[in-house]
Amino acid sequence: MIYKNKKVFSLLLITIAAFLLMTIAEPKIFFSLRNFQSMTVQIPEFGLLSLGMAICMLTGGIDLSIIATANLASIAAATILTKYAGENSGAGPTQIVIVIVIAILAAIVVGAACGFVNGLLVSKVGITPILATLGTQGLFGGLGIILTKGKGIIGFPELFLKIGTAHPGNIPLVFYIFIVIVLLLGLILSRTFFGFNIYMIGANPLAASFSGIKISNVLTKVYMTSGMLAGLASIIMISRVNSARSDFGYTLLLPTVLIAVLAGFNPNGGFGTLTGIVIALFLLQILQSGFNILGSSSFFKNVIWGVMLLLVMVINYIGDRYSKRVRKQLA
Amino acid sequence: MKKLFRQNEIYVFFLIIALVIIITSFSRSFFTLENFFDLLKSHSYEGILAIGFFLVLLSGGIDLSFTAVAVIGMYTGVYVVLITGANNALLAIAVAGVVGIILGAINAVFIGIFKIPTMIATLGTLTAFHGTLMSILQATKKTVISNPPSSIIAFGKMILFRIPDGTGKFADFSLSSAIFIFFTVATWLLLKYTTIGRNIKAIGGNREAARRAGINILKTQFFIYCYVGFMAGIAGLLLGSYLRYIDPLNLVGNELTVVAAVVLGGASVMGGRGTIIGTVLGVSMITIINTSLVFMKIPQYFQQFVIGMIIVISVSITAYRQKLKERQTSVLDVV
Repeated sequence: MIYKNKKVFSLLLITIAAFLLMTIAEPKIFFSLRNFQSMTVQIPEFGLLSLGMAICMLTGGIDLSIIATANLASIAAATILTKYAGENSGAGPTQIVIVIVIAILAAIVVGAACGFVNGLLVSKVGITPILATLGTQGLFGGLGIILTKGKGIIGFPELFLKIGTAHPGNIPLVFYIFIVIVLLLGLILSRTFFGFNIYMIGANPLAASFSGIKISNVLTKVYMTSGMLAGLASIIMISRVNSARSDFGYTLLLPTVLIAVLAGFNPNGGFGTLTGIVIALFLLQILQSGFNILGSSSFFKNVIWGVMLLLVMVINYIGDRYSKRVRKQLA
Repeated sequence: MKKLFRQNEIYVFFLIIALVIIITSFSRSFFTLENFFDLLKSHSYEGILAIGFFLVLLSGGIDLSFTAVAVIGMYTGVYVVLITGANNALLAIAVAGVVGIILGAINAVFIGIFKIPTMIATLGTLTAFHGTLMSILQATKKTVISNPPSSIIAFGKMILFRIPDGTGKFADFSLSSAIFIFFTVATWLLLKYTTIGRNIKAIGGNREAARRAGINILKTQFFIYCYVGFMAGIAGLLLGSYLRYIDPLNLVGNELTVVAAVVLGGASVMGGRGTIIGTVLGVSMITIINTSLVFMKIPQYFQQFVIGMIIVISVSITAYRQKLKERQTSVLDVV
């Protein structure tokens, strides 16, 4: 079972503290249904991207192309939506539903295909993930620009937009989707051979390959998973903003890496839990919403993110050295 | 001679020659000294950033915060000149450099003392530095300097010498280009002939071995990141003086272009491998690709795709050749 290690536990404490702080600072606005709904609406799309990034980081890699993949997937889905179920297509309700399903599948498939390319470059050709995904970021992003000629695609059917705005039981639908994905991914990572292999490869690639794990297969699947998560995130993205663009969301790229590091992921791979990711997501969202309510500039939240990241790493370092010293004294 | 062909840089060089030939066939005005000097001037800041980034890469690290340092250096440099009323570009340069060194030192503290992995640390400082600058500026409601002092503008326009091309036009060699060349040569000399330069390469090659050989890792890291910070600050100021418009939202977000340029030039992300010449060639290639698309009348929205494709292809070739070489030898590493 995924155990709560020290780093994740301290992260949880910080998150709770932040929540309390924000509640005290602005009790009526922060501790309200409206605010909670707003926070749980913003978490899923960023969260899915962070999950994709986190899985790649488990293998010691990184996926810099995840935003570009999401944009490309969103363009694919949007084209299908507007062409076959848009406002001027005169499609009946059943057709609209079918088209929506196809569009969602298309986004996931495009994401998987992009991930497949990444996986191939990293495992078969042997390029380090930073460079490989740097190149594919340009490739996929450029492809998106070529396809859309820089303009956005608009005109989605009403039913599709409901994905982004529906609130069954006062909780956003997208949040349910997110939780389901997290649970699914968590199961895969903790209970299947595939998940186990991911951790092994990240911790010690040489030993993993000698113990019979087919590294190229696992890596390819990992990057395909990241791509598919990006595809799913793109569906949520475009259903909320009602348009698909090729340059959307690039400012979210570095924060996804921040989330993984906050969650205790080792950038060299092999360590990290999804619980940590979810907690880190909540922490960042609490801070972001809180500071928004307090009226500080959007750049200030960047300062908080950066400082928080550095603080967490410093605390981890001091904690590690302290425990090593204690262990030495006991030995 | 055979050794020459084994180097990565030679392929980049041939690629550049090929590109230049192709472009010139489309548009004769490309292959003029005037155009080359112009390209050199407008991309001199990029070159300096690349040299700095290359130094960090050589030591086995990655510095993603250089754009923030450059922008902060640019802004504070011009701001100080604006406030003190001393219309002196040298003051701006000095301030930009000092600011860069200080920010670089902060990086070194996190990387050297607290042993935070370089990519994570510089990611954090990138967001923290830039966020701090923007928060302060937004509070004062003045986020850009649209009328920089005349000395800064003059600095950006300064020409060292001109070469007439016979038709009445001149090829202007600007001061910025000279500064870029100066830093390139200085860094090359540093790496080749000084102890600290060799230490940098040693740390990048095998940090543990370097430590056991007696190299002071902390001091070297402080030097590296302060050096990079210094160059980033100056580069930012060059950019600002060239554009005659100080916008702190520039540059940040485009770190990957510089990374791509350095990597294309053959530097290894693991550290310990790479040459100054390679870096310069990498920057040249990115520059030529960018401008060549304009000359070949390819619509601008193809640019990113083409650059991405070139990065993927060239890095694939390098990595694949590396892989084939590794299959022949077995590597035992002391961890």
